[in-house]
Amino acid sequence: MEIKKILFVTKFEKLCYNALTSLLVLRKASLEHLVFLNVIEKDKVAMKRGRGYLKDEAVKLKEMANIRFIDWAENLFEMGLEVGAHIKISSFIPEILKVVKQESPDLIVIGRSGKGPLEQLYAGSDVSELTRQTDVPILVFKHLEGDNIVPEQLFDRPLFATNWSETNKTAVEYIKGLKNVIGEVHLVHVVKERVLKGKDTHEVQKIRKTERKRLESLCGELEHVGIKARAHVYAGEPQDEIEKAAKEYQASIIILGSSDKAAIVERWIGSVSKNIADNSIYPCLLIRKRHSG
Amino acid sequence: MMSKKVLVVDDDPDVRSFVLTVLDENRYIPLVAQDGVEGFEMIEKDPPDLVILDVLMPRGSGIRLYHKMKTSDKYKRIPIIMFTGIALKSFLKSQKVLDEFKGMEVPEPEIYLEKPVDPEELAAAVKKQIG
Repeated sequence: MEIKKILFVTKFEKLCYNALTSLLVLRKASLEHLVFLNVIEKDKVAMKRGRGYLKDEAVKLKEMANIRFIDWAENLFEMGLEVGAHIKISSFIPEILKVVKQESPDLIVIGRSGKGPLEQLYAGSDVSELTRQTDVPILVFKHLEGDNIVPEQLFDRPLFATNWSETNKTAVEYIKGLKNVIGEVHLVHVVKERVLKGKDTHEVQKIRKTERKRLESLCGELEHVGIKARAHVYAGEPQDEIEKAAKEYQASIIILGSSDKAAIVERWIGSVSKNIADNSIYPCLLIRKRHSG
Repeated sequence: MMSKKVLVVDDDPDVRSFVLTVLDENRYIPLVAQDGVEGFEMIEKDPPDLVILDVLMPRGSGIRLYHKMKTSDKYKRIPIIMFTGIALKSFLKSQKVLDEFKGMEVPEPEIYLEKPVDPEELAAAVKKQIG
């Protein structure tokens, strides 16, 4: 799997040119084409009582986005990349999906959802909505936000958290496609607390040994294609332990397979991958199993 | 004398509308494409006498379309007016263009207009190219 084309979705406040430049290392991994998308939410220019359609506001916002994109594009064209841009007055997620259909990107880059907890509970976060409706991998960037980690070499030390699902196999193939940009990948499997409940030391050690062997086998698979890899077994709640592992090994990004849980289930009980994408201080790459056709 | 066909390749409907008005008023036949991919399809289907080309567009950029045309024996003689917000310096410096053009005698664009321009300036540029 190669990343030839990236769709970079920006609202400008949180995802800017600096974030874009940290992705340019992917040129070594076959990146050729960047497509910008700025969605001006309809409510910013919607009809308001007695005021009608805010055409001037729409024109102003579109022109402001256009000026930014032209500036970015000039730099990227000079670097030899192909660049495209979409500026749309629309609804955020439907417009992203429309552009995904038109452009067929290999990766979507978005900022973290700006929605509050209550809004997310009923409407879902942008990341959740998007992962449910597209199987294109999604990189959730945390640029310009508080204490978030923004490494210069985004793919230098990825941490790949696996739960051995089918989706994780897709993620491994994706990681192999990044071999030219990865320094060392840390493979982590978290044994859930409930699995260890009631077990004696010997049984716990046995579980650890089994998982460690599986991880080492995966390390071997990655090393076979030239990627340095290290295995780590953690025990506890996956979301907390993955974040802990990322800190301990100074990860540059967290890579996760994303589940296919039903929307309503996910909103109420959450999904590890989407919770991490929404809450972690690290950039997160969510990979879903590709559906054929 | 038959009117000449001018293909406008631009994703911005306002810009297209402006260019079409100028072309109409000056008795050219305007053709329209919304991006580089559609633009090339139209050129293949019915080669125009002139192309007015934007650079930054969805799907295929003007840089790619320009390259395709100027390296094609069939289309390299079709004059192109670049009509864009992208600076000429960036257009020429584009690594991709320079790399792809290496070793080939690919000329600079016939005319490079940076947006915005007056209708008279655009009409004069078209006239200069195809009369």
